[in-house]
Amino acid sequence: MDLSFLHVLERERVLEVLQRDRNLRMIEEERIRKMKCDLQELRRKGAKSYARQYGERTCARCQRPLGKLWNTGAVCRGCSHRICNRCRVGVADWKCTVCYAYREVKIRSGEWFLEERAKKFAATTDKYETIGEKLLKFYCVQRHIAVVPPTPPPHMEYEFRGRFRELKNSKAFTQSMEDLMVCFRSHIKKFSNSQNDVRGDLLTVDPNGKASCFRYSTQKSLSDTDINKSCSLTKRESLPNLFKKSKDSDHESSSTGAEEETSFSSEHSFDHRSSISSISTECGIFEGILVSGEMELAVAYNSSGSCLEITVGGCRNLTYGNSKKKKSHPYVKLYVLPDKNSKMKTSVKKNTTEPVYNEVFKYNIERHLLFGKRLQASVWHSGTLTKKVFLGEVLIPLDAWRQENSSFQGFYWYPLCPKAETLNGVTAENNGH
Amino acid sequence: MTDGDYDYLIKLLALGDSGVGKTTFLYRYTDNKFNPKFITTVGIDFREKRVAYTASNPNGTATGKTFKVHLQLWDTAGQERFRSLTTAFFRDAMGFLLMFDLTSQQSFLNVRNWMSQLQANAYCENPDIVLVGNKADLADQREVQEKQAKELADKCGIPYFETSAATGAEVDKAVITLLDLVMKRMEQCVDKPPADPANGNGAAKLGEGQPNEKRCAC
Repeated sequence: MDLSFLHVLERERVLEVLQRDRNLRMIEEERIRKMKCDLQELRRKGAKSYARQYGERTCARCQRPLGKLWNTGAVCRGCSHRICNRCRVGVADWKCTVCYAYREVKIRSGEWFLEERAKKFAATTDKYETIGEKLLKFYCVQRHIAVVPPTPPPHMEYEFRGRFRELKNSKAFTQSMEDLMVCFRSHIKKFSNSQNDVRGDLLTVDPNGKASCFRYSTQKSLSDTDINKSCSLTKRESLPNLFKKSKDSDHESSSTGAEEETSFSSEHSFDHRSSISSISTECGIFEGILVSGEMELAVAYNSSGSCLEITVGGCRNLTYGNSKKKKSHPYVKLYVLPDKNSKMKTSVKKNTTEPVYNEVFKYNIERHLLFGKRLQASVWHSGTLTKKVFLGEVLIPLDAWRQENSSFQGFYWYPLCPKAETLNGVTAENNGH
Repeated sequence: MTDGDYDYLIKLLALGDSGVGKTTFLYRYTDNKFNPKFITTVGIDFREKRVAYTASNPNGTATGKTFKVHLQLWDTAGQERFRSLTTAFFRDAMGFLLMFDLTSQQSFLNVRNWMSQLQANAYCENPDIVLVGNKADLADQREVQEKQAKELADKCGIPYFETSAATGAEVDKAVITLLDLVMKRMEQCVDKPPADPANGNGAAKLGEGQPNEKRCAC
């Protein structure tokens, strides 16, 4: 789809309309973000926390104890948690407060529409982007390449990065910021689909020090003072990176340079030694499964409790763990890497590819120690006996939560990824020994 | 002009042959004005309107609650040369105003073509559509009889309205009816059981999950 068949004036006209559409969409995004924050607040207050004993008979929402004979509570059809009388909405076909709010958000945010459409246009990768958004983006990129000089002024970029640090996620970006991002993206030659993806890119680029390389390469043509400026910036970035590199190499068992792989292999060798229950999981089936779908997560740092709060909302469009019988009993396992004692697991949801968990996990850690840590959230199919099948995973660098003032971060759907290629080899080795 | 103080953002789209009055229809609806001049739409455009919506069918929890709905009404060019652009926008709309000109038999005959365009490009196979015969005020030039149009609408299981952007007759009603259909659709989509409990198959759900929903017969 492009606009090349239009005359120049017509194209301008259409782009004007699309610009108006974008303004509306940004208001809408902000509204949805607020709505999801509220939902998360509700979930956090209510959802069963990791700290609690699992067998305890309490209402999963208000945490009041449930009796054996009266006020025994009943199981909510949405989330399968036991809920007391007070935390229900509706009479005959009731839902717990969280499931009800979840449903409301799904309607009001227009998510129902995206889901319906995804059923029909499953093949398209950009199912959450409107056609207007796509066209506008495409033509903005073209325009900016033509109009904006390839090297943005350093102070602007500095401001951009600085502000990005504050905002990190979720806040609506101003127009100029977004335009800068478009430039930024075109430089690193990553044309990602949505703003969310951009955030993802930056998140991963940041800790690896690629960002600083990029800075060097683009600012070669600047005057001396400017170079100084950018150097100091770069130093500030790279020092902790160096520290981190050396830290990583402690665990390094193979000599591959890529950070991704190193910490993976260390994870597995650790697993092998430390926990037996983990081994059974890690030795699950990796091959032959096509990873698909997304996981809804919210990560927040709770300063008062000095712990990391991870809320697992749910998953959607998962592949079948048992593709023959078209069955899946998915659960989510969390690690705060590289700590191997941090294993946390959700309950297992039976017969679904769209499980809803609404479970909150707390991981006690000082904020500054989050540096270099990564959250690994993997989905597993709990098959017969001990057979576990890997359904996909998400890796989130936690550096972002390290120095942020506002500890809040809303829900976000992360696309599930397969394990890295080399990893299969490592696992196979582990299996063999 | 807009702020985020609304409960729903509903995106509707008007489509139909060139000159049937899509733009004037929407102009009448949003601004309650009429512009008799014919200015062809370039590609696409949209208008907005904030309305209060009260659930008309109070079954279950939503008893007469009123919501603020922000309507984004997409206007598409009817001209053939913009076709590839306009049809691409079909997939982002939640409901459709399929319009024809009561004084033009040809525009009515093309309704079927538009219908199949919708089936191919809209977000699902059977989206919510309202059939609108416009220019009802021009009684002496009328070429399409009400019975004819009503038959087609019934066959497709969609509501039919005869409107006039010039006088404003039935314009609001047509849009509100469509909004109502979309609002009901949202509830249905969310309340549908997530998957067949025996084997959670997403593909099977599409065909069999909605037996009570209307289906286009053409």
